[in-house]
Amino acid sequence: MAHKIGVVGDKDSILPFKMLGFDVFYASEAKEARKMVDHLAKNEYGIIYLTETLGEKIPDTIRRYDSKIQPAVILIPNHTGSLNIGKKRIQDNVEKAVGQNIL
Amino acid sequence: MNKGKIVSVSGPLVTAEGMEHANIQDICRVGDLGLIGEIIEMRGSIASIQVYEETSMVGPGEPVETTGEALSVELAPGIMSQMFDGIQRPLDTFLKRAESNYLSRGVSIEPLDREKKWTFTPSVTVGTKVTTGDVIGHVQETPVVDHKIMVPVGVEGTVTDVKTGDFNITETIYTLDTEEGKKEFTMTQKWPVRRGRPTARKLNPTTPLKTGQRVIDTLFPVAKGGSAAVPGPFGAGKTVVQHQIAKYADVDIVVYVGCGERGNEMTDVINEFPELIDPNTGESIMARTILIANTSNMPVAAREASIYTGITIAEYFRDMGYSVAIMADSTSRWAEALREMSGRLEEMPGDEGYPAYLGSRLAEFYERAGKVITLGNEGREGSITAIGAVSPPGGDTSEPVTQNTLRVAKVFWGLDAGLSRKRHFPAINWLDSYSLYVNEMTAHIGETLGVDWNKMVTRSSSLLQDEAELQEIVQLVGAESLSEKDRLKLVVARMIREDYLQQNAFDDVDSTTSIQKQYEMLHTILTFEEEAKKGMELGAYFDEIIQGTVDIRERIGRGKFLPENEIAQFEDMRSSIQETIHQVVEKGGMDTDA
Repeated sequence: MAHKIGVVGDKDSILPFKMLGFDVFYASEAKEARKMVDHLAKNEYGIIYLTETLGEKIPDTIRRYDSKIQPAVILIPNHTGSLNIGKKRIQDNVEKAVGQNIL
Repeated sequence: MNKGKIVSVSGPLVTAEGMEHANIQDICRVGDLGLIGEIIEMRGSIASIQVYEETSMVGPGEPVETTGEALSVELAPGIMSQMFDGIQRPLDTFLKRAESNYLSRGVSIEPLDREKKWTFTPSVTVGTKVTTGDVIGHVQETPVVDHKIMVPVGVEGTVTDVKTGDFNITETIYTLDTEEGKKEFTMTQKWPVRRGRPTARKLNPTTPLKTGQRVIDTLFPVAKGGSAAVPGPFGAGKTVVQHQIAKYADVDIVVYVGCGERGNEMTDVINEFPELIDPNTGESIMARTILIANTSNMPVAAREASIYTGITIAEYFRDMGYSVAIMADSTSRWAEALREMSGRLEEMPGDEGYPAYLGSRLAEFYERAGKVITLGNEGREGSITAIGAVSPPGGDTSEPVTQNTLRVAKVFWGLDAGLSRKRHFPAINWLDSYSLYVNEMTAHIGETLGVDWNKMVTRSSSLLQDEAELQEIVQLVGAESLSEKDRLKLVVARMIREDYLQQNAFDDVDSTTSIQKQYEMLHTILTFEEEAKKGMELGAYFDEIIQGTVDIRERIGRGKFLPENEIAQFEDMRSSIQETIHQVVEKGGMDTDA
């Protein structure tokens, strides 16, 4: 089953994704971002890329989708640089899955 | 009178020879002490007699005298509020006569007070034709019980004389001109306990017995005229359930048979019941209660009789047109008495040593319950609801007494040791228990309340069932793995368990709950579920709803302690549930345009 890929974040950071054919949605505030992620999740987006700066503001929402198979909410750095939250999440998940940090 | 001679004595079983004149089920006076016994087996001239009193110091050679009568109870005014032993000897008179707290032997006491005068008001006039079951007159026995004096079974005739005034129960109060000539009658009737009193016909039970216990009235209702079994391991609360029903059920008469259980439980009854006020009549509960006590240290054979004595008294009041509830606590002790006698008779044992006829004996008892049209021209409607506790050893309900009981009882309130350890009382397990009356009874309650009660009950039980399944998943992989919908289900199911089903028998308010209040409480909890679901659809997260509704959920939890006259507050609660959830949605959730 094909799923769509959505990107949520500030305009400057996510505009390039449009070139790849992803749907981009602009959000700059926590409330907006939360609405957008919930909205995408409801509309069968399989992967949602979210900028780390926004992700930091809506931990509840991210935790909510952690336990679900889809969508996968993946944090990406924005144009100002990485906050290392995204990377840490991946490492945590790997550790959970394998039992050891192999990265 | 013919006399036999004792051949052997084995505990409560005495065999005597020279008894060819006697019949089975005759009452005998055994030995020099004159102990009361009943013939339960005849082989030629040898009779086996079950003795209802302690038989130590009775030996072979002593005489046995038969009375030629079957074991009977005396039915007349004065029976209410009394406490009898298994063969209808009043225990307070016994105490005075024996001058001891324990039973002494060979004492013969009149079951009912012969001296006391009762005011009799006739309701028939001379010349009226009457038949069995017709009411001759009334005696106001206690403030709530109008004792109807009925024409005994098998008698028919024309009234030639009827008196008015104060009489004791042995004085003639009316005379009938029957086919066999004129006959004089007193207020007293005698009836053999092992025979059911006849009725015109049986009816299908349709009205619920309101017990005031939420788990029973809502999930597992019993009909007036139905039969229920309460099996449970030690300490699970069988006796408390029975006491609660005896206290608060909306019946006219309660017969409480304490059969082989601890004496202190009967003490509780004697101490508590007189102080309690029946919410339906405003009088003391004792004014409608008859107690039959055969505690664990009383003779085992009389235990066997106590159940029959109880149900015969219940039938007598049913014939007056009352709804009667009989509690038997516990039928296991009664079955053990059967087993002991059967063993001494050297009968072939069945399962676990119980006699092969255990099932039919249990059925005999429960089948005497029912809703009936009584004999007599009036066609009164009376009912007996039989509720028997069963104490399966080790709480294992696959043992014979429980199984045989379940075959005849239509309601099963399975008490659960796990629940009682968690302090969830009444510890009636909502997954194991059942009531075959549930459809008719919920429909009836729904009609009286004018609401869809059936739907609410179904919703609650399906929530509780889902909860059990979800709990298994939670135990395997943790609560996080559940969807938000399922987590809400868990919360609501917990509210139903803790705020609704759990009921404190020792709290003044919570001890009993009217059907109206039960509806309000359940409606409030289900409203919460509904609103929370809506909130989640509007984008609020489960965690937000739970955090936002802490206060209101606590208020719902305290709802059971709201007195009956303040149930309007539930309406208030429901509107504040709506408000709170709206606030939660506004704060975080997204609007409907999603």
